[in-house]
Amino acid sequence: MEKNLDFNAPHSMGTTIIGVTYNGGVVLGADSRTSTGIYVANRASDKITQLTDNVYVCRSGSAADSQIVSDYVRYFLHQHTIQLGQPATVKVAANLVRLLAYNNKNMLQTGLIVGGWDKYDGGKIYGIPLGGTLIEQPFAIGGSGSSYLYGFFDQAWREGMTKDEAEQLVVKAVSLAIARDGASGGVVRTVIINSEGVTRNFYPGDKLPLWHEELEPQNSLLDIWGTPAASPEPMRE
Amino acid sequence: MTKQQANWSPYDFNGGTCVAVAGADYCVIAADTRMSTGYNILTRDYSKICKLADKSLLASSGFQADVRALQKNLEARHQIYQHQHNKQMSCPAMAQLLSNTLYYKRFFPYYAFNVLGGLDNEGKGCVFTYDAVGSYEKVGYSSQGSGSKLIMPFLDNQLKSPSPLLLPAQDAVTPLSELEAIDLVKTAFASATERDIYTGDKLEIVVLNREGIRREYMELRKD
Amino acid sequence: MTKSTIELPPKGGFSFDLCKRNEMLFKKGVQPPSFRKTGTTIVGLIFQEGVVLGADTRATEGPIVADKNCEKIHYMAPNIYCCGAGTAADTEAVTDMVSSQLKLHRYHTGRESRVVTALTLLKSHLFNYQGYVSAALVLGGVDVTGPHLHTIYPHGSTDTLPFATMGSGSLAAMSVFESKYREGLTREEGINLVCEAISSGIFNDLGSGSNVDVCVITKGNVEYLRNHVLPNPRTYTSAKGYSFPKPTEVLMTKVIKLKEKVEVIEGGDAMEE
Repeated sequence: MEKNLDFNAPHSMGTTIIGVTYNGGVVLGADSRTSTGIYVANRASDKITQLTDNVYVCRSGSAADSQIVSDYVRYFLHQHTIQLGQPATVKVAANLVRLLAYNNKNMLQTGLIVGGWDKYDGGKIYGIPLGGTLIEQPFAIGGSGSSYLYGFFDQAWREGMTKDEAEQLVVKAVSLAIARDGASGGVVRTVIINSEGVTRNFYPGDKLPLWHEELEPQNSLLDIWGTPAASPEPMRE
Repeated sequence: MTKQQANWSPYDFNGGTCVAVAGADYCVIAADTRMSTGYNILTRDYSKICKLADKSLLASSGFQADVRALQKNLEARHQIYQHQHNKQMSCPAMAQLLSNTLYYKRFFPYYAFNVLGGLDNEGKGCVFTYDAVGSYEKVGYSSQGSGSKLIMPFLDNQLKSPSPLLLPAQDAVTPLSELEAIDLVKTAFASATERDIYTGDKLEIVVLNREGIRREYMELRKD
Repeated sequence: MTKSTIELPPKGGFSFDLCKRNEMLFKKGVQPPSFRKTGTTIVGLIFQEGVVLGADTRATEGPIVADKNCEKIHYMAPNIYCCGAGTAADTEAVTDMVSSQLKLHRYHTGRESRVVTALTLLKSHLFNYQGYVSAALVLGGVDVTGPHLHTIYPHGSTDTLPFATMGSGSLAAMSVFESKYREGLTREEGINLVCEAISSGIFNDLGSGSNVDVCVITKGNVEYLRNHVLPNPRTYTSAKGYSFPKPTEVLMTKVIKLKEKVEVIEGGDAMEE
């Protein structure tokens, strides 16, 4: 028990992160749990971080590492945007992430999903897993919760979805992962990026669909114990 | 077959401090009532003092599961003694029994640090202090447990005892009166509680004299 | 003959010269010295007009209380304070260092320091040392962009939260926040909730104890309430007091005065250019 409550252990985001392309752009999604061992250090964290106006990144793995990588990339893209005089492309952003992730692979424990929209390639999703490979994908899933989602995505993902279909898919997928993965939890956050701009959405934990054997959300255990129906019948002779 | 090492420990440490002071016609045995593990308090009201016979009291800190097992063992042995001899065991006899019981488990010891206090056959106060495997000594006062490092020097300063090597043997009992001894014990615990994180909550003091047994409590810091 | 390596003066920062030696000694069974860890409860929350920070005042070395009334809320800037948990030396050093950087930055820019600036400086230092600088911090302040509260972990990760706890008593304190915190607390309610959270750490966590320190930061004003609550007075003091009756025996008293002695050396080499 002591071992699991080690506050000196690095913060890791046992996570579910998702990026999906649809016919006009991309939808990014993530849960909001950050944990140290068995302790939830932050139940409302934001793992979808802005890199530029039109590019965002979903972070997983060590919180410290993924924050430092995205801070550097944001800084580089700022310079790049000024020098170029126009917004950076998603490809450039993803390539910078790859560069840092690959060159420092011995030091870093982080997997990232870069997603965004630019005028050349439209909506694009890039996955950069642990070793620092860069893979362009129609959809990408990552973090500890992703193991529960491969089959679901094989079945449910289609080419050319609408924006709403894509977002519903993402929210459903993250909530499925939250239900099964102990290291994922809290709320679902989504970011939709297309030619129009960026929309951020937030789905509280008690408004998510309930899956197999899940319990009704409860503010306090006292709510259950307090109701007369739940208290046992008094014994009679 | 490869040998496997147990990766868990059969022992825990539950903290706590015990003190006993012997006087000419009394004996004071005291211990705090906090039981803890790591940085957690398990309970603020756990008695570490056990009455083994009419005139012997055992205060023990260390691993309370082992302490409880040890107490039960001694109680059983004392029951047998009473059936065989039709009397209560004397305090020096109980001291030897405790030593034997501890040494019996020399290679898987009881993780218990004991102070035995009581009245001897002449009605004089006596204190016996132990290590975990049964080495013991008759002394005038003693302290065991997590706060002993803080309390023992204070007692040494206030109640210097004669050398056990002196001939003829000197009396080990302290020159204090019963009330003075209780006051000393209270001060010692209040001070130890200031600096030892495993000592606190409440002090249980048991006084043994020719009138019988008296028990009193004093509040200690609860942080 | 020229030496292949040239000895250079140290450039500052930590010296890792003895790491290999210490590793070898450790393998041989030599116990390293213990550090003064502030087994701690520190908290912070955002209320209507600003931020409240809180801390207990116990510092421990293993099971022994090293300091019964230490200060764990550190100054960063006139509008920013920082609670520290972990190795006392590290929290002290890292907050002092960053506070000096912030002051230089203020001289440079002529503007009030921002909380994010402090946050970035702290996290980049901690990340550089990969968790070996064991400082866990709760950073709070009010700047031109409003009130801010952050937590910083030894490995350099940061969180932004409306209420936060750290240290060995963080679970006890968080249970209070999770059941009683709400948005838009008044100043009074904020201070009381912080005190309750710290007290929960003081009484339920053995690593935390003694008194409650509070720091209230609002726009243009800071109130540092040192020892705001003192819930642990000494429980017993003997009426008669104690003396130490047996001093070391004095065998002899003799004072030997030091002689003033100046030696003048005649001749010697003349100075040359």
